[in-house]
Amino acid sequence: MYPEKLQNIIELFETLPEVERRETLVAYSDSAPKQEPRPNEKFDLEDVRKDEECADKVGVYLLVDDKGRAHVRMTLGPEVQTLTRAMSSILCKGLDGATPQEILDLPSDFVTRIVGAELVRVRSQTTYYVLTRIKGICKVYLDRQRATEVRLQA
Amino acid sequence: MQRNPVPVQLDESSCHRQSAVDHFYMNTNPTEYAHPEALVGTDWLEQHLNDGDIRIVESNEDILLYDTGHIPGAVHIDWRADLQDPVIRDYIAPDKFAELCSRNGIGPETTCVFYGDKANWWACYALWAFRLFGHKNVKILNGGRDKWKAENRPTTRDVPKYPATEYPVPAKRMDKEIRAFVDEALAQSHAKKPLIDVRSPGEFKGEITHMAEYPQEGVLRGGHIPGAKSVPWKTATKEDNTFKSAAELAKIYFEGAGVKPEVDTVVYCRIGERSSHTWFVLTYLLGLDNVRNYDGSWTEWGNKVGAPIEKGA
Repeated sequence: MYPEKLQNIIELFETLPEVERRETLVAYSDSAPKQEPRPNEKFDLEDVRKDEECADKVGVYLLVDDKGRAHVRMTLGPEVQTLTRAMSSILCKGLDGATPQEILDLPSDFVTRIVGAELVRVRSQTTYYVLTRIKGICKVYLDRQRATEVRLQA
Repeated sequence: MQRNPVPVQLDESSCHRQSAVDHFYMNTNPTEYAHPEALVGTDWLEQHLNDGDIRIVESNEDILLYDTGHIPGAVHIDWRADLQDPVIRDYIAPDKFAELCSRNGIGPETTCVFYGDKANWWACYALWAFRLFGHKNVKILNGGRDKWKAENRPTTRDVPKYPATEYPVPAKRMDKEIRAFVDEALAQSHAKKPLIDVRSPGEFKGEITHMAEYPQEGVLRGGHIPGAKSVPWKTATKEDNTFKSAAELAKIYFEGAGVKPEVDTVVYCRIGERSSHTWFVLTYLLGLDNVRNYDGSWTEWGNKVGAPIEKGA
């Protein structure tokens, strides 16, 4: 149902007691800078913007390799909440190597399995925002790809 | 409405402030805060990190922010998990408050210094909640977490453990003194007494039904309680999130918003956190003893059947 790497992360979180769940989320948040674009990386799509849903600017960068596998990088402004940073890091790692269509089809019900019901609440809903942004860039990629295919067939 | 004044006396030193408070009532152009002891600066706090009679309390909107690093010795109080009843939209009962204090090493005489993110919204909210239970000795770290971090002051991820205290169960919650419910907010509106709406101008005018950056928190109707004056919470702060001077605050609230020391005032926002910030300003910095926080705020009023609204400036 989920890409294998994401499934592994979900299963890890489901085994953790609450204190360790928080610690692990903070560890993922700490590692968010590692998900930023690396020097000389070139992307198929880049989407950097400040939306109303989030406290600061979020950049999403999509690279689809020659096997059709997606690699997502993200940049996060300093005001982005810790939980959102953690989810960005989890998604970049968990979705690495999935196809854009697999990402687009991903149900969002795994978020609470990772974060835990206690932390998903009013004022922490941006945990879903980063997933929406990643899906958004995948949708644009797929739409453009389909448009190109239609042009080539015409 | 006649009410018992809120005992805003904070600690022994505040006894000496009484003359300043008296002076304040005669002078709506004060040169100093009515209760300057309710604020501590970052320098002061760094020099008092190990004081035994102080407990530093962090309270944030970002629920994992404390875990990423906090002021050494600070405990974490979660505005929802620790202060709110899990079933009813209300605050915890007095016995739960006593348990909360006990497990955080807070005794009835402990001075709690609150700080947090978002310019101290949630720190003021937690302070207000502590006052609901009658905890006397409360202070705010001026400038909050952002100022502490910006000044590169020490932080740690070590979670402190304090011996449990014997915290007597408060006899009551001070709902009547510092909290307003929907019927009281309506009565305030009908009586044309000061109602301060601390939300953004767009929310006040009814142009948006949510706070900027929080579109998921919409309500059915936009606008404000009839008769309310718009004074966004941020009006009370400087760029570094510290509070403006007493003279500036007096001008904003007395001259600009029609607040009068002799008439009780109700403040509100969406869920009571931004209005806690303004409640702190009016109560501790301007010395009013008759300010109540309508914590049901616009999430209640804007959805409530039968509640009248006004739109526009």
